[in-house]
Amino acid sequence: MANTRKRLLAASATAALVVSLAACGGGDSDDNDSSDTKATKGGTLTYLLASPMGHTDPHRVYVGRDISNLSRTVYRQLVTFPTATDLETANTPVADLATDTGTSSDGGKVWKFTVKDGVTWQDGKDITCEDFKYGASRAFANDVITGGPNYLLSYLDIPADAEGAPVYKGPYTDKGQADFDKAVTCDGKTITYNFKKAWPDFPLAIAALHMLDPYRADLDKGEGSNFEIFSNGPYMLEGKWDENKGGTLVRNPEYDPSTDSTDNRQANPDKIIFDIGKTPETINQLLIQDSAEVQAAVTGTRVLPQFIAKAVGLKDRYQNVESPYVDYLVPNTKRLSLEVREALATATNVEAWITAGGGEKFYKKADSIVNPVVPGYQAVEQFKDLGAGDPDAAKKILEGAGVKLPYKLKFTYDGASETADKQAAALKETWDKSGFDVTLNPLTDAYYPTIQDPNADSDVTWAGWGADWPSALTVTAPLFDSRINLTPSSNNQDYGNYKSDEFNALVDEAQAAGTLEEQTEALQKADAVLGKDYAYVPLEISLFNWVHGSKVNFATTPASNGFADLGLISVK
Amino acid sequence: MTTTVSNLESEGLPDPTGHPDEMDRGKVEGKSPTRLAIERFRKDRLSMVSFIIVALYILGGILAPFLVKFGLLDPTSYHQDLLNEFTLPEGPLGGISWKHPLGVEPGTGRDVMSRVWLGTTLSLTIALIASLLAMAIGTVLGIIAGFTGGLTDGVIGRLIDLTLSFPSTLMLLALSAPMYALLTKNFHVPEGDLAWATYVVVFLAIFGWPPIARLIRGQVLSIREREFVHAATLFGASRFRMYFKEILPNLWAPLLVSFTLLLPAYISAEAALSYLGVSIKPPTPTLGNVLRDSLNYAEFDFVYFFSPAFAIALIVVCFNLLGDGLRDALDPKSNR
Amino acid sequence: MLAYVIRRIFVGVAMLLAMSLVTFTLFFASPVDPAQYACGKNCSPVQREQARKALGYPSRGEGVWESNIKGPAEMWGTFAKGIVKGRQFPADEELRKAAPENVVDCAAPCFGYSTYSIRTVNEMVGEALPVTFSIALAAVILWIFFGVLIGVLAAVTKGSFLDRGIVGTSLFLYAFPSFFIGTFLLTYISIKWSLYPLPSYTSIADGGVGTWASNLLLPAVTLAMLYMAGYVRMTRAFVLESQAEDYVRTARAKGLATRKVLFKHALRAALTPLVTMAGLDFASVLGGAIITESIFNFNGLGKLAVSANTNYDLPVLIGIVLIAGAFVITANIIVDILYAFIDPRVRVG
Repeated sequence: MANTRKRLLAASATAALVVSLAACGGGDSDDNDSSDTKATKGGTLTYLLASPMGHTDPHRVYVGRDISNLSRTVYRQLVTFPTATDLETANTPVADLATDTGTSSDGGKVWKFTVKDGVTWQDGKDITCEDFKYGASRAFANDVITGGPNYLLSYLDIPADAEGAPVYKGPYTDKGQADFDKAVTCDGKTITYNFKKAWPDFPLAIAALHMLDPYRADLDKGEGSNFEIFSNGPYMLEGKWDENKGGTLVRNPEYDPSTDSTDNRQANPDKIIFDIGKTPETINQLLIQDSAEVQAAVTGTRVLPQFIAKAVGLKDRYQNVESPYVDYLVPNTKRLSLEVREALATATNVEAWITAGGGEKFYKKADSIVNPVVPGYQAVEQFKDLGAGDPDAAKKILEGAGVKLPYKLKFTYDGASETADKQAAALKETWDKSGFDVTLNPLTDAYYPTIQDPNADSDVTWAGWGADWPSALTVTAPLFDSRINLTPSSNNQDYGNYKSDEFNALVDEAQAAGTLEEQTEALQKADAVLGKDYAYVPLEISLFNWVHGSKVNFATTPASNGFADLGLISVK
Repeated sequence: MTTTVSNLESEGLPDPTGHPDEMDRGKVEGKSPTRLAIERFRKDRLSMVSFIIVALYILGGILAPFLVKFGLLDPTSYHQDLLNEFTLPEGPLGGISWKHPLGVEPGTGRDVMSRVWLGTTLSLTIALIASLLAMAIGTVLGIIAGFTGGLTDGVIGRLIDLTLSFPSTLMLLALSAPMYALLTKNFHVPEGDLAWATYVVVFLAIFGWPPIARLIRGQVLSIREREFVHAATLFGASRFRMYFKEILPNLWAPLLVSFTLLLPAYISAEAALSYLGVSIKPPTPTLGNVLRDSLNYAEFDFVYFFSPAFAIALIVVCFNLLGDGLRDALDPKSNR
Repeated sequence: MLAYVIRRIFVGVAMLLAMSLVTFTLFFASPVDPAQYACGKNCSPVQREQARKALGYPSRGEGVWESNIKGPAEMWGTFAKGIVKGRQFPADEELRKAAPENVVDCAAPCFGYSTYSIRTVNEMVGEALPVTFSIALAAVILWIFFGVLIGVLAAVTKGSFLDRGIVGTSLFLYAFPSFFIGTFLLTYISIKWSLYPLPSYTSIADGGVGTWASNLLLPAVTLAMLYMAGYVRMTRAFVLESQAEDYVRTARAKGLATRKVLFKHALRAALTPLVTMAGLDFASVLGGAIITESIFNFNGLGKLAVSANTNYDLPVLIGIVLIAGAFVITANIIVDILYAFIDPRVRVG
């Protein structure tokens, strides 16, 4: 359903999610939580970004880093994740614009929230229930409000039209308005969402994403609002947001801290400048040198492999953080038999892949597509011992499969960087030794159109994913459920065209589960099925490396997806 | 004389013959005895040095595939054991050793010398075929335009103007996706290296022939009036025969000079296209894509950073000097 | 004279027309559906159809005629109309009616609309052009000044070691790929050794002339290296040649000082072709200094083209190609007309 999310995978740094940060590596990352005590108000913080953000419209943002940055500064939510570093606390939503974390009835099919008193927009007007309702409606205009999550389309209790899409088409037309009005209702300050099916972890979903943020109907310019920021948080935009240059956030005089908690937003700097446009190389170099212009700066650009040796030497200005993202290989199940897929997995040299990608400061071996911190994770039997690859064993499996050797194999990957080329060639080397004859197929513009083409001339591809909220249901189901992915013209996120009734049944079981334990158990079974079928081959968990300026008290939390957490950071 | 260098930015493609206004000045003096030219050339020390280096490059270029075959060069094997924990080469100067005289590539441990060497072969090959193609198109159209004159001449002239108006580097960048698809899907060129090489060669030539055509047209205009052509006409030689049998042999000198100046420009152009990601892709090395990777290590591995760039610069300079030398030798009136 | 000017302009316009036709044919005579090409990197079939409607591309027919000739011709027609009359986006009338608040007016000359960036091409080019113009201007000043200076120096020391050294060095600088030079300047001069501040484009309005110019230095040097060698050699050749001319010899014979002869007579003769050449080169750089802009991350036309290419943003690419072509053609017309003023014989030919 969400092919809008695809663009997020490529850099393996994207979809929103919440996880723990096992501080690892340099042994100097204990800086994180001590920053609370050092926090000082005031000063100007610079946030360096190499490439433009695609959107600042709350309902179109879908990049983990941007979701967190906007939550902490300008877009408050009904419920949000606190800035705690303890995983348990960090993964528990707390009330933000709502008075509590919501009440559900009808087995999780109905959710009610009440909007707090005294919460206002930056122009001083109260945030009303209608603003929330209008916000929810925007996702349905999926020809205008593109890019954002669209879970609401499949959950809200709105009848479907002949094509299976909801009859309601968003606030810009009046089609299906009556149906939407029934699904989302306002009663004074209380908003009620009615769903078709149970959504037990709904508060997790809306804390992790901005899909239910309020929006002012009178200010909505549709597509024209893509780079507007109309704040209800501690900061507001000064002037205009320039897509290619960024913008400056200053304090919002209408923000009342008493309606908020410093557990969510400390709002330390007086000013936050988003500086877009320096190359990643330049950002790395400036921060490593601690040049005057970046001493009060943090960045959303990770340390590049070539700079890591220098970065590690910076001691307290350097952090190594485990990210919520897992990279994996997807064999095309339409073209590769089970034995061939098994041989492929056996011959996959994860170690060479990791070294070619920058080494152990950048990656940690994974044994499942589900990140270990997400409920529903378990080590998958088939992938426990992936390492340098075993060419001999793989060759035996191939020979046993009775296929002609060498077995021709086309590896399609996003060839936008030299690192990707090196990593791909690293896999090729061991695959070639195992009886495969690998053709590398680096694509840039044609990458997604190719891997999403069900009839593509490609045998293996590469992808990355992070959970949308802390549940394996947002990992394996969107990636491997053939019913929501496979169409005659596109496989959407199921790049391997994988189709298994056994797996689909387990997804249904998980979705219907009454308790989280039952759900988790079904999801673990589902992942085991994927392992048995070699539907994917997990590669690694990305680690984030950060360097920040010397005048910054740095902090990163699970809620900020391993990126800098603007709710905590202060300028010395 | 005049400019032999070209620029790669935007308008990019080379004009190896110098400024068009200058064309008539570059006239080759009829049948200047070849031997005289050779003697003059041999006296020019700089040109001789350039000639030797160019010859070495070509020899090395031819040898490289065989060296790879016999395992003496190995541009693809990974030696990650030669890297430190940060995946940079272990040891000083990018991990220089007897086995790896230019060190190894960060991240992979592939041998840098092998990659630069084989890269030279591929870049030279692409530049060579592209310049031959451009020369062929330019020569044929130039002869036709010069000899027939009139309407045909006018049409070819406009075609030259039109082609020159295109921002060629930009076109090569922008056309890569649709034309790569055209080559692989409609012309069934195998995807990957071959298709990219074909794309680069064909489109470098398509945007690169006009200066050659202009030069040749000018030459033909002056040759056309000479006795042997008149004689051939009197003897009833066919047009085709006249174009190619009688006139072409008299054009070898300017063609040779243009060729030695076009080729280095195409080496640079291929490198620029590799930088923009629209030429042969790694792991197959070309000078351009090796350099593109090495740029990332500018600060950390100077040997790696400098090697491919120097390999490009040296061959480009030597070809240019060789071209100058040849022109001087063939046209003693020029000012050097 | 007027007749010549009119004729020359007429030819120029015809050339632009031909160029746009060729461009459309090249872009659309490929198996890639232009709607797919224009709708961005992650384009689902639904989005592709939306992009098709928004941009007014005809649906992709079967067969050679439908897809390779009729389609491009139709699109070229719409494009040409947009240039003359302006257009509205989305091109599809129903879409416009459905969401009138999202209709974008693109006044003539309209170069198109980018569904990827949700803006008109004119707007995007309008933002990028001053950046490219600034780099080009700074570079042209550098390369003419140093090119001529060094060229003259080489000419007066003709045959000496200095002469060869100068010509050789400038050739070597030209021979190193510009992305190597640019990276070197950026990494070493600007960052590692902190000899010169890191350049980032600042418009005159934002930072005054001084800041504007100082930010341009490194990119301009990178770009100028490419051209300078040519100007050195050209200047040297012109000066040497004119020194052999009769009037210079006469001036010498009359006892004028070498320096005076050089600057008053020899160089003056060389200046016209040099300036002409520089004008044409300048026009071509205006189409985008692709590599220089990418290295220094200056958002000029060249970088815009590179990102449009990675994002599959066809309308922007076509817009830039045609604008760049228009610069070159216009510069040629201007040069021709100026020459006609200077030398009336041209008009006849």
